[in-house]
Amino acid sequence: MPFTEQIVAVSAAALRALGEPVLAEGTQIRSPGFAVDVKNGCNGVEAMLILVAAILAFPATARSRFLGIAAGTLVIQAANLVRVVSLFWLGAHHRELFDAFHTAVWQTALLLVAVGLFVFWTRRAGARAARA
Amino acid sequence: MRPALRAVLGFALGFALWRAGTPAYDRLLADTAEPLLRLLERPAATRLYAEDRRIVVDRADFASRSERPSLPADDLTLNVILLASLAATRRRLLRDRGVLALAAALGALGLTHVVALVCAVKALYATQLGEWSTANYGPLSRNLWVGATHFYRVAGCWAIAFGLWWGLVRRGISGGDGPPGRPPTPRGSRRASRPRGRG
Repeated sequence: MPFTEQIVAVSAAALRALGEPVLAEGTQIRSPGFAVDVKNGCNGVEAMLILVAAILAFPATARSRFLGIAAGTLVIQAANLVRVVSLFWLGAHHRELFDAFHTAVWQTALLLVAVGLFVFWTRRAGARAARA
Repeated sequence: MRPALRAVLGFALGFALWRAGTPAYDRLLADTAEPLLRLLERPAATRLYAEDRRIVVDRADFASRSERPSLPADDLTLNVILLASLAATRRRLLRDRGVLALAAALGALGLTHVVALVCAVKALYATQLGEWSTANYGPLSRNLWVGATHFYRVAGCWAIAFGLWWGLVRRGISGGDGPPGRPPTPRGSRRASRPRGRG
């Protein structure tokens, strides 16, 4: 997965900047005491797809949709970067919290970000449509 | 308080309740899904029980020493946190209509958890039990159960929580205001603003 490998490379760079001795290998981030394999469900693509589907289904201009999708994708990927970095850090330093954050907190938080972006975008797109 | 801050508080509260309530809720889920599964099979042999945040699948015809397969229950139920977060964004959530709407949404969400568990157990039967699976489940039913389970985990569980918030909680509290981006239409204003002399 070249896309996931890019996410792993950026996450590993961020972790190194935070002082973690990590190495990126394909879709894996490794350190002497901990390693994660970033799978499809953890690359933010699901949240992106849900946002894109919602934006395309909502009545708006092509420009509005393009801007919403472009900005939404960037925000979701930024949030996903924080997710991968924080999960690795939790796994390395607070292992007991890793499962709860991996399964529940970050999955839900990323979806909440997508829903929030959609609601924010619909308000902007709706206001623009009302002005036109 | 701003909706984003209320969403964060709802998220924290939903997560805490989900985390604390899961063991008891998993038992209820197993007890509710078991009779449904037994209705779908001949002979009725499935027995479900909750253990360590997982639902263990047992059958009367399993060898007594074989290991019991299990499913992660958290994956089935964590969308309650999303529903709690979204519900918390509504200002009048704790008034009568809000509480009723939230209770209805939580009840409907619980029903979908039961259906999701039934699908997950059937998908496990259809694909994970070796020769027994191929002998008892054809390609169509295998794809049906696995497809349903996969859909639920990838998008369905989130879509259900969002749909219940949108359809029950949001509309229940506001009395059916319009979609976001459009201010709520005052009663009668549509008729009043309609151009006359047409039709």
